[in-house]
Amino acid sequence: MLTIFRDLFRYNREFRIGALLTGFIVFFAALSLVSPYPPQDVYIVPPDLPPSPTYWFGTTSRGQDVFWQLTFAIRNTMLFGFAVALLSRLLSIAIGMWSGYKGGIVDRVLMSINDTFIVIPLFPLLVLFYFVMRDKMSWPLLALAMACLGWAYDARLIRSVAMSLKNREFTQQSVFSGMRTSEIVLQEHLPYVLPIVFYTTMNNMNWSIGLEVTLSVLGFTNIDTPTIGVMIYWANQHTAMVAGIWWWIFFPVLFVIILFIGLFLLAISMNEYIDPRSRLARMGGMRG
Amino acid sequence: MIAAIQSSAVNAAPATGRVLTVDNLRAYYQTRYFGIEREVRAVDGVTLHVDRNEVYGLAGESSCGKTTLIKTLVRAIRPPLNVVGGSVTFNFAGRDCDIYALNQSDLENIRWRHLSYILQGSMNVLNPVRRVQQSFVDFAYRHIGQPMPAFLKLIEAHLHRVRLEPTVLDAYPHELSGGMRQRVTIALASVCRPDFIIADEPTTALDVVVQKDVLSMLRDVQREICSSMILVTHDIGVHANVSDRLGIMYAGRLAEEGRTVDVIRNPRHPYTSHLVTSLPRIGDVTQKRGLEGAPPNLANPPPGCRFHPRCPLAIEICRAEHPPMVDLAPGHRVACWVTAPPIKPGALQ
Repeated sequence: MLTIFRDLFRYNREFRIGALLTGFIVFFAALSLVSPYPPQDVYIVPPDLPPSPTYWFGTTSRGQDVFWQLTFAIRNTMLFGFAVALLSRLLSIAIGMWSGYKGGIVDRVLMSINDTFIVIPLFPLLVLFYFVMRDKMSWPLLALAMACLGWAYDARLIRSVAMSLKNREFTQQSVFSGMRTSEIVLQEHLPYVLPIVFYTTMNNMNWSIGLEVTLSVLGFTNIDTPTIGVMIYWANQHTAMVAGIWWWIFFPVLFVIILFIGLFLLAISMNEYIDPRSRLARMGGMRG
Repeated sequence: MIAAIQSSAVNAAPATGRVLTVDNLRAYYQTRYFGIEREVRAVDGVTLHVDRNEVYGLAGESSCGKTTLIKTLVRAIRPPLNVVGGSVTFNFAGRDCDIYALNQSDLENIRWRHLSYILQGSMNVLNPVRRVQQSFVDFAYRHIGQPMPAFLKLIEAHLHRVRLEPTVLDAYPHELSGGMRQRVTIALASVCRPDFIIADEPTTALDVVVQKDVLSMLRDVQREICSSMILVTHDIGVHANVSDRLGIMYAGRLAEEGRTVDVIRNPRHPYTSHLVTSLPRIGDVTQKRGLEGAPPNLANPPPGCRFHPRCPLAIEICRAEHPPMVDLAPGHRVACWVTAPPIKPGALQ
């Protein structure tokens, strides 16, 4: 496993850049552990100072150091994205593959649930969720809610692949050789589906972080826990752009973009290891 | 477990006797949509048997029911295909077993160990995202009952038998050529030394040179492990080279069956005659003549002999009644009212 990572790092440019960018963000988030200030405290440093050797990323109008505030924000946002992606992937893989392989009545029941989730408008539902939860709102709860809403498209995508795999010769051979359904799905079909899962994971993190930022900017989340969205919310509250405190918005946005790019590059280069076909395509053997 | 394998190897020793007996097998595709019932009689009343250590060839044009027949033989059927009647009895290790009377676990014990199946389009039997070795482990490991290192050694030795390097185990299927992939699937099907191998069009996608190679290899492996085989292909030339006995299918029924030499040299059923005269021969410059018409729709087969609409010899009774299989010579059976009339008192006068 380690040698795979070493080789990917050595020979794959996308992986190298992706690993460096993501590593940088993870390191930055880890700095939150040694932050001199608790994340919720305000007016502990002079407000509205531009970036300087003392305050690298400047300070906010609420008297917080942007640098240390951002370490907490990026950590929470990243954890949020991972949590949503992980939970919703579990749901979409399980439901998509089971439904596609089983077919018949199982497929019909699962897909009608699936389609219901596809047509439900998510944003009003999440806003409603906030108004129901109010003070009990926290990011793990929001992550759970979004994971329950974010699996449906990808489950349908995975189902379509599973349906096609079901009719391939190697599946018939697996059935004939006496493999159990779970073994067929996990050993024979899952490796085929994983590259798609990787791509949808990226999409899903993108979507969940984006939606979290949207909700936070509008104040529909717990605004005491710093996330990228919450930082922008407070900056807007203090009309940072109008007041010329650009660093309050610029750094959160920059870091979230770095995170996106890093994760995206990691995902496509991982795919190269997982999917032997894309390796061949890279060699130029299969133009098409 | 190891003792069981040894005993099965010992039991495989008797070189004669029947391994497979099929009696009046009928398998229909039955569908029902919007209240309309349809029944496609893909296999209708097939009776045949296969002896130990013998290659039984099955030939016929496309859609005559060859693949359906063997799917039914190995009980690899899924709705809408249903077995309507008849029986399939295998004799493994001295015991008779009706494959449709077995429970699921017994069935799984028989498969691969005793009965293996090379699927149609077998080049695609290997999972494109799994290495060849993983495919071997997935499909055959459970049936061997040996620890992993011994199993891997066994695979390597077996691959050597089909003239493949052990390095193919590390390859993905797309990295192998068609012929290599075909040999891998043959190795996969024969690695457990099964008593019975069913091969559905094992060489269709290959060119004739590789085809000959693969077929002789299949034959060698079959002889070496003393198994019986059903070989399905529409290529009569292949049958002439490989099969001991040959069954000709037409529209879901057996038309003629006999030793390959007899069937090809001396075909008695008009359909077989046409099939055989269609083969090109070196030095033959006569114009080949096609047979008019197409195989019948099996959802609504013609009454009587299913070949009669295309048969140049058809007489009155062909349109009304299906001809029974009649022994013309020992082991040579034909179903035709004209060329093989059943000997009934009064019928010949």
